[in-house]
Amino acid sequence: MVNQWPKALVATFAVFVLLAVSHLQVNAFSDENPNSPTPILITEPNTKRALAVPAWKFNAEDPTAGAEQIHQSGSDVYLFIYNVQLMKGEGANAFRLNVQDAKGRNYRFDVTDLVPVAIKGYSEAYAIRVRLRDTMGFWAEPINNADVAVSVTWRGLASEKRLLGHGNTGGPMADLLEKHIAKAKTSETDGSDYVANRWSGDRMRFLQQAGFGATSALDWRVRRIGVRAFLAEQLDAPYPSADNPYPDIPLKSTDSTNVTIGCGMFPDGTLERRICNRDHYSMYPVQKWFFTEALYGQPQLKHKVSWALSQIWVISGAGGVTQQSSWMLAYHKKLSENAFGNYRQLMRDITLNPGMGNYLDMARSTRNNPNENYPREILQLFSVGLFRMNQDGTLICVENNPCQPGDTPIPTYDQATVDNFTKVFTGWTFCNVGCPNSLPSIVNYKDPMAIVNVNNHDITAKTLMAYEGAPNPTIPACSGCTGEAIRTYANASLEQALDNIFYHPNVGPFVSKLMIQHLVTSDPSPAYVGRVAGVFNNNGWGVRGDMRAVVRAILLDPEARGDVKTDPNFGKLREPVQLATNILKALNVKNAALTGPSDGVLTNYTNGIGQNPFNSPTVFNYFPPDYTIPGTSLLGPEFGIMTTGTAIGRANVVNTMTYGQINAGENTPGGTRIDLADLQALMVADPTGNLVLDELNHRMLHNTMSSEMRAIILPAIAAVGSTDTLGRARAAVYLVATSSQFQVQR
Amino acid sequence: MNESRRDFLKTSGKALCMTAVATQMQHLGMMSTLAQKVKDTEPKQIGGDNYKALVLVYWSGGNDGNNMIIPNHNDATISNYAAYSAARQPQGLALDQGTLLPISVPRMGGLSYGLHPALGPVTGGINNGIHELFGQGRMAVVANCGTLVAPMTKAQYQNNSVQKPYQLFSHSDQVNQSQTSISDSVAFTGWGGRISDRLTQGNNPNGLIPMITSISGAQLFTAGQSTLPMAINNASTSLASVLNPAGFPNNAAGNARRTAFNQLRTVDLDSNFVAAASHVTDLAIQANTALQTFQEVTVPFPNTNIGNQLKQVARLVKKRTDLNINRQIFYVQIGGFDTHNGQLNQHTTLFSQFSQAVRAFYDEMVVQGVSNDVTTFTLSDFNRTFNPASSGANVGSDHAWGNHMFVIGGSVAGGDFYGLNTGNGTPFPTLLNGGPDDTSSGTSARGRWIPTTSVEQYAATLARWYGLPENQLGEVFPNIGNFNGSNLGFML
Repeated sequence: MVNQWPKALVATFAVFVLLAVSHLQVNAFSDENPNSPTPILITEPNTKRALAVPAWKFNAEDPTAGAEQIHQSGSDVYLFIYNVQLMKGEGANAFRLNVQDAKGRNYRFDVTDLVPVAIKGYSEAYAIRVRLRDTMGFWAEPINNADVAVSVTWRGLASEKRLLGHGNTGGPMADLLEKHIAKAKTSETDGSDYVANRWSGDRMRFLQQAGFGATSALDWRVRRIGVRAFLAEQLDAPYPSADNPYPDIPLKSTDSTNVTIGCGMFPDGTLERRICNRDHYSMYPVQKWFFTEALYGQPQLKHKVSWALSQIWVISGAGGVTQQSSWMLAYHKKLSENAFGNYRQLMRDITLNPGMGNYLDMARSTRNNPNENYPREILQLFSVGLFRMNQDGTLICVENNPCQPGDTPIPTYDQATVDNFTKVFTGWTFCNVGCPNSLPSIVNYKDPMAIVNVNNHDITAKTLMAYEGAPNPTIPACSGCTGEAIRTYANASLEQALDNIFYHPNVGPFVSKLMIQHLVTSDPSPAYVGRVAGVFNNNGWGVRGDMRAVVRAILLDPEARGDVKTDPNFGKLREPVQLATNILKALNVKNAALTGPSDGVLTNYTNGIGQNPFNSPTVFNYFPPDYTIPGTSLLGPEFGIMTTGTAIGRANVVNTMTYGQINAGENTPGGTRIDLADLQALMVADPTGNLVLDELNHRMLHNTMSSEMRAIILPAIAAVGSTDTLGRARAAVYLVATSSQFQVQR
Repeated sequence: MNESRRDFLKTSGKALCMTAVATQMQHLGMMSTLAQKVKDTEPKQIGGDNYKALVLVYWSGGNDGNNMIIPNHNDATISNYAAYSAARQPQGLALDQGTLLPISVPRMGGLSYGLHPALGPVTGGINNGIHELFGQGRMAVVANCGTLVAPMTKAQYQNNSVQKPYQLFSHSDQVNQSQTSISDSVAFTGWGGRISDRLTQGNNPNGLIPMITSISGAQLFTAGQSTLPMAINNASTSLASVLNPAGFPNNAAGNARRTAFNQLRTVDLDSNFVAAASHVTDLAIQANTALQTFQEVTVPFPNTNIGNQLKQVARLVKKRTDLNINRQIFYVQIGGFDTHNGQLNQHTTLFSQFSQAVRAFYDEMVVQGVSNDVTTFTLSDFNRTFNPASSGANVGSDHAWGNHMFVIGGSVAGGDFYGLNTGNGTPFPTLLNGGPDDTSSGTSARGRWIPTTSVEQYAATLARWYGLPENQLGEVFPNIGNFNGSNLGFML
């Protein structure tokens, strides 16, 4: 029996296996330690009670004098923290105070000021000013006659919880806190350096943020050259991979059935007809190409950022609106061309892209019959958003800046603005004659749209957005213009209108927050948004909208980096595409016969759980960026497609991946299957399954597996016959991959 | 919590996942239907006399009500067919008067109005559609209903003297306002969810599934503060499979793995994201047990998405006694109404699918003997501009505001229009771009009707019938006091 091997032998074998996979271990000396220190709330001596001074008594010279135990709801108090190292410019909005009352409900109080203070016994201490007023707005205010538990969060890390008398001291919270602390002691995580593998939690998380998951090859690459060098390499990598170019699919007639230029040259029911329809009139080739690149491509980051952009600037094949794969491919090329380019160029290229022109109707909007669809959405979804924002993404209200609960936010624009932008965007349509890809009887979905009939452009005056420093708040009429003069005027007006949008101060925080949500965390701190927006506004060389710099800033921010993130609100639910690719890449994905790569036809793994790539249900994407987690007002966009039905669907997808495969067939030329040979070897080395769990902890959980989680999984591994190493490895994989602990990237 | 949790374990054969539920509930500060039920172990009267259900059919994308209910008369004193045709015919968006399905409307002085032709018998249809339900007194229309903070005249709209709903004409915001009923601030709970919060414990004390079921994913309408919905696939998946985790063989290894699968949801709940994912999964595992057996419906349903959604609803209604449930709210959705272009064909397809499915559902409720206990109603993002967008084959319409709604069931005072009067003395708006009911004046006005009846009034009328006590109306509908009356009278 394997599990009766002498312990020494097991240990030796284990060491051998580990050496075999870690012989290239080189720490990336060019990288700084990604970990930020964990903030600590200063307590009253020998208690679990946070030291707190009413704001009106606070004196920076003697900061803790005047500390009181009872604080009134709505009042301002100073709390004290240490063990933080602030960057230049990092201030109050980098901190938030999480609050829990004895009912177990969660609240958030804003931190409004930060003052360096000298407190004996603590170096680099700060006083943080907190208003004892919930800003989440989901529950009413916390219980106001008892202790609440408070915890400071900063850069994705949370301090220990401490007591704060809210209206009064006492109540059950002190006991609850003791239990919490006792429990925490028994459930420490396995640690981040179990194989002397420095910063591996951070590295694996990075590969999921900056791509579609970690393979051992990617892991080794980052180990060798470090996160920063890897990022630089990724930012310059050719895209797409040389062995996975964009499919070259010709434009077809919009009539797929009856004309020879569609698929009508093949008789009904033939293989040729089916394949012709599939490849030209569905998103199949785009999806297959997309997943192949996600699983095996070198330029992971550009692929990931393009995917994120495709979920912001949405066009979709759903309902046949984007009818042909060639239309979507032309569109995706524009996204990826600009993924590390300038946002202003992206705005122009997409505005004139015929796929978008069709999807949001600009291609059919004329002076006499204008269509508001695109003008409304470019403002609302792609650039400035509905309400005025500060650089850190917090809203500006009529009453206060930033808004306080109950205040009235200020709209960024109104219907009149939409009407006026609509006028600007009239007259463009498909360039079916005289452009490089123009063909007879074919709608040109490759070249930018053009003013084909000058009389379709509205030449009256327009009033655009007015804000401080706004370029082109008005566009004068083109009085008496005819012919070419209109075309010139129209093209100039388009640039002016796009500038009017692009220079709006909302664009930086709006785009930055969306990109952070797609790559890193659903509910970023205002400071994080503010830092990235600052880079959007100026890349350091005076350039606005430099996405290369923005992406870099997002991924290197201290809120994104670090081994273990303890902020209860850090991270994001893995969207279905990310769930599937992360698991498959972690487990050596191959074709069904395990003889070569997967064919990339993975939609069976994503469509049923809410994400059919390039077939978003609406322009609002699969899930809205402002979706809040039920039972809270915490942002969690991906929870918009997490329901009872899809929760089980996710488990069933993992079941198919783990215990089954996608067979080869007409639409799945090679099929897809994971290869667990390496985990089976570890199962032989250590039949208890601990080594396998170590490995899965490293590959999939950023080393956050708690001892409790491990203790729950081990008996399920042991219940499988000891000679069935595949069965044991599968049990481990199934349980880790279905766990909520893994469903969330954190 | 400890007390109820102990009872919970005692009364349950599924201790494991119960623990998980209770833990997550505590973590998220939530009490589910499941956690609450322990307080009352005696079932109330279930099914039969005491059963009531509300079924929301959401027209996603903003349904063009202006092409759904059309004047079918020539009375010159009120907007007539000619007024409609004059505004929509030039671009090709007007329906021929001869194709309209006539209804006689007492509230409109007995004048004839016409429903879109796809709401009656259609080629390839399996029933007569919903048109004839109006004449049978089983269907009512609520006219010019929309999101409002308070009643508002055109002058007040234009001089900003009454607060407007935030971000009018924007899809996402108007969807949220229709589904939360709150238009003066962003809300995190839907009006269905808030009803569920208040009525679950009293009405479904031992319910085996939540009060609300969505057959169309997570929707704000269904989100409560302390209760969450069940969301399942449509009838193309059997009830026994919709929430069934696959792949656990019935042997020692399979059972051990299932145990671990369930236990993992009881730990590592410090992360709010992990807790939320575990919570949703728990709800599913719990409901799955109850859904393993069901009886198929009797009436044929169309094999469309909306048909299969309503069929799944009908299966759950049929199973109400098994599920120990007295009150249910359902959400189903039909999308594609954002008809900026190509509207005529799309609208015909959508209305045909809607009408066929809703009629099948109504007929099935009659067969089940609960047609008086089940009320189907509609909501949408908004109406569309009376003035068309684009023209010719591409003709469509843009985003607008006040819209018409259908309410269908045996307890509906059908065969008439409801809602508060506009300036023309009827609830039906004056069909004139730049006219008295349009937000704008002048030649560029596009015909966006200012609603005279609020979503809150409409919803409150339904909620009262459903059993929401008078003293809780204000909790569920916080701005209801701004309006003249909370009962539009369309429920018997």
